[in-house]
Amino acid sequence: MIYYRVLFKYSCNLEYAVGTILEHVGTICYNALNMCLCTLCLQVNFTVDEIRVMMDKKRNIRNMSVIAHVDHGKSTLTDSLVSKAGIIASAKAGETRFTDTRKDEQERCITIKSTAISMFFELEDKDLVFITNPDQRDKGEKGFLINLIDSPGHVDFSSEVTAALRVTDGALVVVDCVSGVCVQTETVLRQAIAERIKPVLFMNKMDRALLELQLEAEELYQTFQRIVENVNVIIATYSDDSGPMGEVRVDPSKGSVGFGSGLHGWAFTLKQFAEMYAEKFKIDVVKLMKRLWGENFFNPKTKKWSKQKEDDNRRSFCMYVLDPIYKVFDCIMNYKKDEAASLLQKLNIELKAEDKDKDGKALLKVVMRTWLPAGEALLQMIAIHLPSPVVAQKYRMEMLYEGPHDDEAAIGVKNCDPNAPLMMYISKMVPTSDKGRFYAFGRVFSGKVATGMKARIMGPNYVPGKKEDLYEKAIQRTILMMGRYVEAIEDVPSGNICGLVGVDQFLVKTGTITTFKDAHNMRVMKFSVSPVVRVAVEPKNPADLPKLVEGLKRLAKSDPMVQCIIEESGEHIIAGAGELHLEICLKDLEEDHACIPLKKSDPVVSYRETVSEESDQMCLSKSPNKHNRLFMKAQPMPDGLAEDIDSGDVNPRDEFKARARYLGEKYEYDVTEARKIWAFGPDGTGPNLLLDCTKGVQYLNEIKDSVVAGFQWATKEGVLSEENMRAVRFNIYDVTLHTDAIHRGGGQIIPTTRRCLYACVLTAQPRLMEPVYLCEIQCPEVAVGGIYGVLNRRRGHVFEEMQIAGTPMFVVKAYLPVNESFGFTADLRSNTGGQAFPQCVFDHWQVLPGDPMDAGTKPFGVVQETRKRKGLKEGLPDLTQYLDKL
Amino acid sequence: MFYIIGLGLGDAKDITVKGLEIVRKAERVYLEAYTSILTVGKEILEQYYGRSLIIADRDLVEQGADAILQDADTKDVALLVVGDPFGATTHTDLALRAKEAGITCKIIHNASIMNAIGCCGLQLYNFGETVSIPYWTDSWQPDSFYDKIIGNRKRGLHTLCLLDIRVKEPTLESLMKKKKEYQPPRFMSVCEAVEQLLEIINRKEAEAGDQGQMASSLCVGVARVGAEDQRIVACSLQEMKEVELGPPLHSLVIAGCLHPLEVEFLTQFARSKDALLEIAQTL
Repeated sequence: MIYYRVLFKYSCNLEYAVGTILEHVGTICYNALNMCLCTLCLQVNFTVDEIRVMMDKKRNIRNMSVIAHVDHGKSTLTDSLVSKAGIIASAKAGETRFTDTRKDEQERCITIKSTAISMFFELEDKDLVFITNPDQRDKGEKGFLINLIDSPGHVDFSSEVTAALRVTDGALVVVDCVSGVCVQTETVLRQAIAERIKPVLFMNKMDRALLELQLEAEELYQTFQRIVENVNVIIATYSDDSGPMGEVRVDPSKGSVGFGSGLHGWAFTLKQFAEMYAEKFKIDVVKLMKRLWGENFFNPKTKKWSKQKEDDNRRSFCMYVLDPIYKVFDCIMNYKKDEAASLLQKLNIELKAEDKDKDGKALLKVVMRTWLPAGEALLQMIAIHLPSPVVAQKYRMEMLYEGPHDDEAAIGVKNCDPNAPLMMYISKMVPTSDKGRFYAFGRVFSGKVATGMKARIMGPNYVPGKKEDLYEKAIQRTILMMGRYVEAIEDVPSGNICGLVGVDQFLVKTGTITTFKDAHNMRVMKFSVSPVVRVAVEPKNPADLPKLVEGLKRLAKSDPMVQCIIEESGEHIIAGAGELHLEICLKDLEEDHACIPLKKSDPVVSYRETVSEESDQMCLSKSPNKHNRLFMKAQPMPDGLAEDIDSGDVNPRDEFKARARYLGEKYEYDVTEARKIWAFGPDGTGPNLLLDCTKGVQYLNEIKDSVVAGFQWATKEGVLSEENMRAVRFNIYDVTLHTDAIHRGGGQIIPTTRRCLYACVLTAQPRLMEPVYLCEIQCPEVAVGGIYGVLNRRRGHVFEEMQIAGTPMFVVKAYLPVNESFGFTADLRSNTGGQAFPQCVFDHWQVLPGDPMDAGTKPFGVVQETRKRKGLKEGLPDLTQYLDKL
Repeated sequence: MFYIIGLGLGDAKDITVKGLEIVRKAERVYLEAYTSILTVGKEILEQYYGRSLIIADRDLVEQGADAILQDADTKDVALLVVGDPFGATTHTDLALRAKEAGITCKIIHNASIMNAIGCCGLQLYNFGETVSIPYWTDSWQPDSFYDKIIGNRKRGLHTLCLLDIRVKEPTLESLMKKKKEYQPPRFMSVCEAVEQLLEIINRKEAEAGDQGQMASSLCVGVARVGAEDQRIVACSLQEMKEVELGPPLHSLVIAGCLHPLEVEFLTQFARSKDALLEIAQTL
């Protein structure tokens, strides 16, 4: 305890304190200590009232997420930020990972749920000049309120990232500079850009590059350069400089790229080094930063700068940035004590008395983090380069709001106006300590949300003017959420992130909260992964069924993506993104939500039904009263159109003429026909189309709604095994109708449409599609052979294999059917001596070869199995049930 | 032999003598119970006929024709239809199916609202196309019948409007599920029909830019035609909105050009004789 008191006097640097304590006292006292630390930290730093004051300074707020591939060191990096500037950390603060609050997260060393933390940070006067946009800082305020969300890196939990991105405006993209840009980096970055989130980049694990790989300075520069390029390529694919966000690219010479080691607690941007040298060179910091990156070479003899590499000059980045770092590493790790001492003096590093005895890695850490404290560099980068809500909401409004872009709500969001009507988006539900209840977590985009205020709570199915999915209720309580720690707060103005109590019972997962009567919904989030893996659960003890049902409801709330479905057969299905995701969901369900022992089926994947040719005949179905007849055909969509619809490039809200032109140009659709798209389905947005190809049919518009309803139904439950349809285009060619409206109501038309569509599919060579993972595997060269073996056995195929430059590691990229992925990780490990580590992310749907109508093929087997599981009649669907004769 | 027998409009005793004889000797007798209803229930009919009846709902008639026609080639099967078999409701499909199956099909006619509407004094010769007015839902609001009414009026013809009947209709949501849930039975009243009609009129007239002509035109509301407590009211559409005619079934007539005799006959049902005469003059 003595150590602790002494240390605390010196340091407001929590991690530093904890780290030192750990090294000296050992882990036994650790927990006791960090409890004290935590309480102190809460008392010392900030009161809720002070935070509330900061919340009003909307220009000084930065809402940001930390995103990266799994194991690239996000959470560790986040810790160094929190220790520098954390206002209130989670109740368990002090354990090495601040943001991993769950026990399983700490055991597995991965983040599963995203967690929010608030930080306060003041820029020095000299740094304030870097902020030029007046909307990025309130005049006279140096302090910044930074709300940071740490989100999972494992692809199976991408939905958590999506939810985090929605409520933030900027992203700190962390890339392991040894492994480079990996599949998950790309996935989340792509998503961030699509949500109009501005990125800054951090190259993590520089210590590994130096200590383990012993890269030469020039080699390391090339590695950095390549990563920056890779990131910018991804950014450029989804956004360009002339877009509404302005320049999104990251650029080391502008200071939007950081380098360092989260683990060792040091980091820098070129700004730090430019400041060190500015005086010496008598060059302005901003100009010098430009010189310190890229093709800039300096000749120390002639003191001349050059744009080309010549014999006696060196790259400025290597010379002025990397060399000093290399020197520090070299003399400390090689125990050159005297040299080290003089170097420390040169760099103005003063060590504390108790650190002076250290050597080797421990000393290196202390030196580096004293010299280049990670928190300082990163927080500067965040405050300077990430947008404030005022800046961000200007260009994000049109992406966020479904209503007209000039109504009160839209204007309020656009201006981030705390006096406009309330508009808040709830992006996820966070379990409370009170079992079965949730905090609704989200972002206030306009107006203020306050304890006790009456508001409209609108779920995703709310349609303006209707009453469905709409509740008008009082907000029980408004709270600040920092990890698991919550604190009541009177109200929260626009631009901030907060939690609400008492809203959970009205929303399933997400929703919009507003005080504006005519407000439309905020757009629902689009997930980059889909729930393609499913498992059936039942209680071991049948009497526990009600508990299971209740538990499933809670599980559905607590995870942004998981789907809990009850099949017609009475089976309870949980659908998730992958094996790991399901595993965590099942564990939560068993231990937290239902609290009963469960029986689980083997995981199965969901399939899609499609067609491979045009219907071989005009399909006719008659309504039950025989007075109405529909004539239709099905045909497969051209390659790429279904994906265009998935990504929203072609969507039901498009202006129909522009959409028709696009379909005409890209897919050679007849433009007149393409103008008459009646519907997307299933669920109004899915990748199947219904087109009106009729000519001059009377009363057609009076049955349109019924036909569309039948189409939604049929595309949701396909004819083969009631799986969703995909990539099918249905054309209505002719319709015969009873003259009297009463004889062609929904009851007549809806079931007829479904029958007709089924007949269309059955006559168009139906096929099954299965989901396929993009699988990225990192391993040393010796293990590559083992990988091929495992992939071959599982119908996978490798399409890319390359060595990571400067390392002995290989990256193998392959497509792997999701159905073959169960147990893949374990299989891979055992065949490669534990050296290969896969990351699988859903990539596309692929036709399962074979005719499902032909007994003995694989698709036939799948159809039969699915039908059996769903409690449908076994055997094949009978065309005569759906097709009528003239 | 397969018989389709009209039951007429009023009560159990409206069946024809021929029809009753067949009902008594037939092997199976179905009672079609979704396109219209009598003022009396199945039990009263059974009591009067002295035999049991099988209720045939929409599903059975439309999709279970085979079950109805089973054995009809050797035995007598009858389907009882309120009104006339080929009147307002159309059982032509069933008759065709019977023929296809080689079963002789015999029709016993009876009164239907299509002819009984003559009770209001408007000449049947002067009626144009008949229309139905369906219950609107939030998403389904057909208005094509309005154009037909206008078309009839232009030619000076009356329009008989049949009003929606919902007996054992599946809900829209349950249509998409395998398990059917049914809406509670509903019968459109004259004032409900007029309300929907006025809504269309307002919409259409606002589009066309003229005012209030249709709303003040003459219409006749009838309820329970052929029954003891039959009611008939004649007034303007606008006024009809307030008229309550009691239990179902209701029908509505929009008048076209009137013959003096028609006017005279209508006056006995007028809410206000003077007002009626005034409207009649404008027609």
